Amino acid sequence: MGKTLFEKLWASHIVVEKQDAPSLIYVDRHLVHEVTSPQAFDGLRINNRKVRRPDLTIATMDHNVPTNDRSLPILDQTSAIQIQTLEKNCKDFGIKLFDINSPNQGIVHVIGPQLGITLPGSTIVCGDSHTSTHGAFGALAFGIGTSDVEHVLASQTLWLEKPKSFEIRVEGKRKNPHAVTAKDIVLSIIKNIGTGGGTGTVIEYCGEGITDLSMEQRMTICNMSIEAGARAGLVAPDEKTFDYLRGREYTPKNYESLVDSWRDELKTDGDAKFEKQFILHIDDIVPQVSWGTNPGMTCDVTELVPSPDEFSKGDLNQKKGAQKALDYMDLKPGTPIVDIQIDRVFIGSCTNARLEDLIEASKVIRGQKVSSTVKAMVVPGSQMVKKQAEDIGLDKIFIDANFEWREAGCSMCLGMNPDILSPGERCASTSNRNFEGRQGTGGRTHLVSPVMAAAAAIKGHFVDVREWDLN
Amino acid sequence: MKGNIIKYAQDNIDTDVIIPGEYLKIHDYAELATHAMEGLDPDFHSKVKEGDFILSGKNFGCGSSREHAPIALSHSGINAVLALSFARIFYRNSVDGAFLLPIEIDEDTYDGISEGDEIDIDISTNEIKNITKNQTYKMKPFSDIIEKIISAGGIFKYNPDQN
Ligand code: SF4
Repeated sequence: MGKTLFEKLWASHIVVEKQDAPSLIYVDRHLVHEVTSPQAFDGLRINNRKVRRPDLTIATMDHNVPTNDRSLPILDQTSAIQIQTLEKNCKDFGIKLFDINSPNQGIVHVIGPQLGITLPGSTIVCGDSHTSTHGAFGALAFGIGTSDVEHVLASQTLWLEKPKSFEIRVEGKRKNPHAVTAKDIVLSIIKNIGTGGGTGTVIEYCGEGITDLSMEQRMTICNMSIEAGARAGLVAPDEKTFDYLRGREYTPKNYESLVDSWRDELKTDGDAKFEKQFILHIDDIVPQVSWGTNPGMTCDVTELVPSPDEFSKGDLNQKKGAQKALDYMDLKPGTPIVDIQIDRVFIGSCTNARLEDLIEASKVIRGQKVSSTVKAMVVPGSQMVKKQAEDIGLDKIFIDANFEWREAGCSMCLGMNPDILSPGERCASTSNRNFEGRQGTGGRTHLVSPVMAAAAAIKGHFVDVREWDLN
Repeated sequence: MKGNIIKYAQDNIDTDVIIPGEYLKIHDYAELATHAMEGLDPDFHSKVKEGDFILSGKNFGCGSSREHAPIALSHSGINAVLALSFARIFYRNSVDGAFLLPIEIDEDTYDGISEGDEIDIDISTNEIKNITKNQTYKMKPFSDIIEKIISAGGIFKYNPDQN
């Protein structure tokens, strides 16, 4: 019987395999950031260990870097210490670091692909759950905790139980690709399979609805695999993948010969069997807005805020969870989604702050102004995205519309730096998590696509962007 | 292992309420622990006692890979979390770092145990005794490998050839 792409990636990275036990898996690339690494480096020092492959380890700072003027000192002392600690650790252990002043600095999952560090067929880990993003290139990529970061630093390997393979097939091509985005596809998937729907699996996204997407859009999909509980997400590489990586700063010298072998090997065989499958049709997907406090609590922009009773089919906890979410979000069942007024707009994060995201959002706001009741900001995913955007004048479009235009980082995706919501503030956000307090204590997050966020910024409430001319 | 239950009767308790992002900068574990569960239950720190257990619903610990989540709970005195199911990274972090025991239970156990109940967990027999209510339940046994990592005291002490 044939093999799935995941099984091929798994098999080609096994160092030690035993029956009924985890396998020791080789790690091709280890990405490091300031928040989940300090204790791992401490552990190495205590045990007198070195980093086994500093040449395969790359670090940047993203989670708590300020996004305002980079020439100013960092005011938050604990953030400053965490950033200095990473600088020292990288120096002591000989690891390449893109620091706060580097033109390559940015969110770890944005810079990996941009620099050609993320390669098809490789294994990639990072102390961050959204490492699944890199799966868009046909890499097996997943997030790990700090103990495992230490294990990888010391050994370049990881003990892993073999996940199951899960096929999610999106049939059909989008008729309105500017309004129905990759974000809407992945939110629809999570809404359908649930936040635990992918638990214990590696998802391979297939079908015309996926192959039709650009690389940056595929990254948005794979990025949110973790919100469905999956260990990783994958898209089989194709010519778009190979074109995207060609000629980047760290793309290997023998790239073309690698591409030749990837073209043959990195796909699921026709007769391979997945252990789980879910199919949806692109025509059933419209712009999505999350209404609750996990990414599965999402509905169509055309719908009404649901009533907890709609969840009573499941167990009691589901109904209670919905009620609790509505209370936290201060929403009444039956309210049209388009009537929800917002206070803030955040266009950013490793889900939706790449160049294409910013281009699409800029088409929505061109020549318009942010509603007087809304504060809106754009935080590019990396300094390179920022520069590319500025080169084509996007910064001017955003600034003219009264958006703030910031330096790169995670920013209001998780509220570790000064960019946070105030208690009770309601935000249309292009990030990936709407958990309670995620963007600041008491803050209320609605997950949407960049175009939906931009349109909400202009109108002051959600709107169905399919009604706008976005060409 | 004896202790009292702190029950959160809900699913999907995520890492951002277990330890909100703004505290991920804190390097000192004792200080980190003072903010545990702050996103959900600001009284947690004042009520938790050494040896307590948390009881909750499905998908406990979903979200971020932050090891700060099991660390903050463990340094608050929590020795085990009993839940209907766990998110993978939280489960793995808990076991690998030997911070706390993630114990899977069934619906009956979940319904049977109430806030404040004193329970006794015996992982050698997979039994959970409810001392307060004089009931006994079964926990889902750990897989072989998880049990070995637990008894080794974490992933770094685990050696597959010796254990
Ligand atoms: S942008 Fe958000 S989700 Fe992505 S790495 Fe940063 S904090 Fe994590």
